[in-house]
Amino acid sequence: MKSLVIEDEPETSRYICNALREAGHAVTPCGNGLDGLHHALNDAWDVIILDRLLPGGIDGLSIISKLRGLGKTTPILVVSALTSTDERVRGLRQGGDDYLSKPFASAELIARVEALLRRAHSSPGNTQLRVADLTLDMRTLQVARGATSIALQPRELRLLAYLMRNEGQVVTRTMLLEAVWDCHFDPQTNVIDVQMSRLRSKVDKGFSPALIHTIRGVGYLLGLRA
Amino acid sequence: MRLSSLNDSIAARLALGNGALLLALILVISGIFYFGTVGVLDRGIDGKINSISTRLLEAYGSGPIDALAQEIKRELADGIDSDSEIFLVTSPSGQRIVGNLSTWPPPDAPLGVLLNRDVIRDGRLSSARLIARPLPGGGRLYVGRDLSEQRAIRDLVWHALEAVAAVSLVLAVVGAWLLRRQIERRISGIRRTTHEIEAGNLDRRILISGDDEFARLALDINRMLDRIEQLMNGVRHVSNAIAHDLRTPLSRLRARLDEALRREMTVTALTDAARTAIDGIDDLISVFNKLLQIAEAESGVRTESFARVDLSRVIRDMVELYDPAAEEAGVRLRVVDHTAVWTLGDRDLLATAVASLIDNAIKYAGSGARVELRTQSAAHGVSVVVQDDGPGVPAVELPRLTERFYRMDRARHQPGNGLGLAIVSAIAALHDGKLQLANAEPGLRVAIELPGIKLGETQQADTRAPPLPVTPVPNLSNL
Repeated sequence: MKSLVIEDEPETSRYICNALREAGHAVTPCGNGLDGLHHALNDAWDVIILDRLLPGGIDGLSIISKLRGLGKTTPILVVSALTSTDERVRGLRQGGDDYLSKPFASAELIARVEALLRRAHSSPGNTQLRVADLTLDMRTLQVARGATSIALQPRELRLLAYLMRNEGQVVTRTMLLEAVWDCHFDPQTNVIDVQMSRLRSKVDKGFSPALIHTIRGVGYLLGLRA
Repeated sequence: MRLSSLNDSIAARLALGNGALLLALILVISGIFYFGTVGVLDRGIDGKINSISTRLLEAYGSGPIDALAQEIKRELADGIDSDSEIFLVTSPSGQRIVGNLSTWPPPDAPLGVLLNRDVIRDGRLSSARLIARPLPGGGRLYVGRDLSEQRAIRDLVWHALEAVAAVSLVLAVVGAWLLRRQIERRISGIRRTTHEIEAGNLDRRILISGDDEFARLALDINRMLDRIEQLMNGVRHVSNAIAHDLRTPLSRLRARLDEALRREMTVTALTDAARTAIDGIDDLISVFNKLLQIAEAESGVRTESFARVDLSRVIRDMVELYDPAAEEAGVRLRVVDHTAVWTLGDRDLLATAVASLIDNAIKYAGSGARVELRTQSAAHGVSVVVQDDGPGVPAVELPRLTERFYRMDRARHQPGNGLGLAIVSAIAALHDGKLQLANAEPGLRVAIELPGIKLGETQQADTRAPPLPVTPVPNLSNL
């Protein structure tokens, strides 16, 4: 995977680049807006990680709108210290695919980058999700493990679908909260953990192998694990 | 009024302008009056002189001079205007034939033109207006009027106008002075207050008297000052909070890392210390974000994402999110009334507020409690009510619950940072609403009261804005 990191603060840039390298990416760091735009236009990238406030006469949002204006559909993850609702909405409206507030954990960054990559390569027409013997039919909303049908609440269906679409990838609690409940706040209690354990009791309990896994300190993963 | 004050006083300029306008008005009225009286009289006399002279010439000009003389004598004796009429006929050699003048203009005076001349009439010197016209036989016919009466009327009008001008000048000056004093008095009240505020007394307000423009301006300024004071208090609170409530966890964090560096030798122990430190920092970041969120909401600047929000939908979503957590805590969480009620707001912030209330209820109502949510709609607005049947809150503590970092004694063992209700309160205020806390006996009743929007308005809004993106559940395609 080829990633372009446009971030002017050296320490943060190093942190992002190292995290991506550990996740197996080939990373090109870039310290100012104009060079960043140049790189983004003249090379093929799998994902671009972009800060909002940049030196070099062009800021993050302008880079996004230039790229989108020129028809580039490369997934873009915006990282920014501008964290208010308005700023996030602005970043996404401009054409960013995801918005991550600083400071962030490297695991959160990687999980979001992987989700972006998966989304970019997935075929949306796929109506039958399958992981091992777990199936979810998007048209009939039927869930089953093997031949055993499983009854789920509407919101649990959304949750399961999200996990299945990101099969084998770590998803964080924040990602689940945003994607399934459309919430952008930090709940005081472990609501997501409880939701997950309820889903797990329906999808995994009494079946083998277990498909939902807790990744300590990061989030969850649905998939087959050795 | 000093001239030097004109540049730096709008009151002086207003007063002067007002006086000047008044004087100009008097001048115009006087002019119209003068030319309407004296002017009309003058023109009347000129017309009479012209018409009499023309009539005499036409009737008697070509005939014998005696007939003309006879007619003039008759005119002078008929008793109509006789005391001011002037007639004279002279021979070609300039000798008087008939008439009541003993001196007259020289023969070379212009003919056929109205002249003002001093003449001697019946032995008296008087000023007159007259015309000289040639007679076919070579003599002259003089017709005119004595102007003494005219003079008297003109003088009378002139004196009256002078008196009016004098009185109006006095009125203009006095009026200007009063106007200026009035304006300055009102402004100086406002200035006194602003000076006091500048000196640091932020709680000072302008005294309002009456209901005029100045009173309304003062009201606006007072409202602005209220807002500023409120924001200043917010800033002060945040800095106090940073000073007290962030310093403590920071110093704890620092002490732990310091100790780990000095004492711990094993990699595991150091890793543990680092992990604990990261957790501590994450907590701090969370507190920090919440403080920022409060400050943002309290700044009162509405976000761009304000749109129509169905509060019943928000509470259903949040109950759905918290339901498993409530069940695990032994709390029965349910929506008892979910009539659709609409407000204008930021869905995300409203969801944050509702989530925070549910979170509190689960934490503090205790196992076995029931937490009920409902939407309500009244004439003055709409509200979201969260009510539990837990132990409630002592009445004295109720008003303190929305203070930042305030935690009741029995809440201290629970996770949390004492910012939850402060955020809810700020979010309610941002939406022009209010957070109401009351004892429900048993339990606590918390309500977020918000301005509602009527369905009619909603439908109208629909023509411009796209309909509220109501998330169809399940909507799996966009995941």
